[in-house]
Amino acid sequence: MMKKALPLLMALLLIVMALSACSSNSGNDPGNATNKPAGSGENQASEQPSEEPAEEVTLTYAIWDSNQEKGLRQIADEFEAQNPNMKINIEVTGWSEYWTMLEAGATGGSLPDVFWMHSNEIYRYASNDMLLDLTAKIDGSEKVDLGKFPQGLVQIYNFNGKQFAVPKDFDTIGLWYNKTMFDEAKLSYPDETWTWDDLYNAAKTLTKDGKYGILTPLHNQEGYYNFIYQNGGTVITDDKKSGYDDPKTIEALEYYVKFIQEGLSPKIYGDAERAEAMQNGLAAMGFFGSWNLTGFTENEFMAQNFDVAVLPKGEKQASIFNGLGHAIAHNTKHPEEAWKFVEYLGSKEAQERQAELGVAISAYEGAAELWVSSNPTFNIQAFVDMVDYAVIRPYSNTTAVWEDKAYEALLPAFSGEKTVAEAAKQAAAIMNESLAQEK
Amino acid sequence: MHRRISKQMRNEWYWGWFLIAPTILGLIVLNIIPIFQSFYLSFFKSGDFGKGNVFVGLDNYRKMADDPQVWHAVMNTFLHALMVVPFSIAIALVLAVLLNGKRKGKSIYRTIYFIPMVAAPAAITMVWKWLYNSQFGLINVLLAKLGLPKVEWTSNPDIALVSIAVIGIWSVIGYNMVLFLAGLQEIPKDYYEASDIDGAGKVRQFFVITLPLVSPTLFFVLVTSIIQAMQVFDVIYMMIEVTNPAYDKTVSLVYLFYNNSFKYSDKGYGSAIVMLLLAIIMIMTVIQTKTQKKWVNYM
Repeated sequence: MMKKALPLLMALLLIVMALSACSSNSGNDPGNATNKPAGSGENQASEQPSEEPAEEVTLTYAIWDSNQEKGLRQIADEFEAQNPNMKINIEVTGWSEYWTMLEAGATGGSLPDVFWMHSNEIYRYASNDMLLDLTAKIDGSEKVDLGKFPQGLVQIYNFNGKQFAVPKDFDTIGLWYNKTMFDEAKLSYPDETWTWDDLYNAAKTLTKDGKYGILTPLHNQEGYYNFIYQNGGTVITDDKKSGYDDPKTIEALEYYVKFIQEGLSPKIYGDAERAEAMQNGLAAMGFFGSWNLTGFTENEFMAQNFDVAVLPKGEKQASIFNGLGHAIAHNTKHPEEAWKFVEYLGSKEAQERQAELGVAISAYEGAAELWVSSNPTFNIQAFVDMVDYAVIRPYSNTTAVWEDKAYEALLPAFSGEKTVAEAAKQAAAIMNESLAQEK
Repeated sequence: MHRRISKQMRNEWYWGWFLIAPTILGLIVLNIIPIFQSFYLSFFKSGDFGKGNVFVGLDNYRKMADDPQVWHAVMNTFLHALMVVPFSIAIALVLAVLLNGKRKGKSIYRTIYFIPMVAAPAAITMVWKWLYNSQFGLINVLLAKLGLPKVEWTSNPDIALVSIAVIGIWSVIGYNMVLFLAGLQEIPKDYYEASDIDGAGKVRQFFVITLPLVSPTLFFVLVTSIIQAMQVFDVIYMMIEVTNPAYDKTVSLVYLFYNNSFKYSDKGYGSAIVMLLLAIIMIMTVIQTKTQKKWVNYM
């Protein structure tokens, strides 16, 4: 009897143990009250200091880019110096984990007080009342004037006429090139007169001896999106339909994929490997966003050999343009203090500090010039020059979903299993299917 | 007489329950309740942030049946288990037998083999990622020294799953080995001495004495290894991005569950996927417990 029961019991226990690993993750159940004690427990901890006579308030400030932490810490220190009763706690979480963290926080009622928002996610957070409505606060503020920010950026964070975030910075995509490799091949450096043909010819000349002329990976924002808009195509139409089946879009993708097909670009897919290919002199040209600047400046090889230029022009000039915003949690314990901090971050003073410190290209009118002088290593004026004709990163209410689906559909074109047109049509179909499910 | 025993029995029962209560409570709160919650959620189209879930009946399951990616994932998960389980068990068993005898420095070897188990899977994967790097990785550099062509370990759709399985085997060997060592210590020395006198060689001893007598441990290791291999996630998650050409050939059920639940915020569909995995693991475990009579010897 015992002999029979023991293994059975053991097996049962094993199953339970095994399942727990995956199931415990999905425990964020609809309106589950059990989540709340954990959240309020944390809040109590942060409330405790306020019982002290000094009434110190600690705000958590969540960001996803560790490159910016140092500069933002300095700005936060300066803010703390002006507001002795407040402390800013910066929490860095990597990009993809950031959204998992934020979602768990939103579901469990323990969002950070102040955090970065992105065009991919703003809809979900704004439409579900997870963010504090800042409209009235901005109207009553002397420091923040939305008119001083690019209107495209302000619009991203406007939902149903309410403003849910104050623009922080913007970014554009530049053409990074290896000067040494250009010199050796006796080619002139890329500049604003460059066309698609120039880019192609240079890539062809530079590809030799196991080195590649260019790097054109499967990457949307730092890759083919730019070319699509340079060719007059689109990724998403105004009436929220996929633009992947637009002949102009397909044409641009064909141009982009040609570099891989002809062996002018290495087949590199990972995000980290892309930068490595530049930093090891494997590829002579590559497309990278302005947010890579700190990392590239710190890399000795890149600082010595590289420079950056505006993107080449197709039918017209274009670069993908996006910007983050500062949002406040709807249920923060300290709405006044949190606003004070966000207001400061959106003020002329802090925006200029952010630019001077080289943290990011400040969105505030005129501050970008300060950013340019923050970095003598590269010709980063190029990033600011592109703003005039930059296109906002395509987005809708469920960007994160269809972006991945489009990647999956486009992969066969990059690996050569399908023609670009076939893959693009597939991407359009799957993206439209996803868009149709949007509310 | 009769009464006194039952009283003592009851007392023992109370103590027994008292002692396992912490574990039981933990299992219920952290494991069993979430299982039922996931099951419940798999019938809903989940709203954002746990609000506004809409009951959709079996829609998620229907969608799953039509989703080729789910079936890719089932295939990949099985293939992964098929590679990891036999190799990790065979290697671990051989190592355990070798390190069981009187041998110089055996505790050093035991420690070395067990170290991967102590390190965090994410850290292990980072190191392997560097080794596998197609341009500058150590493995490819060594291959190049030997005049062999470079291999795209993590982006060639035909190879990537093998690369992942290698990490799985490597990291679990030490753990299985320790379990086998424990099993081997249970085997009385008399059998070996008797067979020595009868003139049996080491290999024959292994198959005739060691293997049958270590079979209860083998059964335990087999069941746990299969479950663990079926749940592969972290290695693939860290190594294979959606833009990787090997994505379709490596995506596992748990990875797909993660992507749908957390990246695409479709928790209902994610729960349905994890229920499929639950069903598969449950069936496999039931089959194993049923067939164990045929080959497991409890002494």
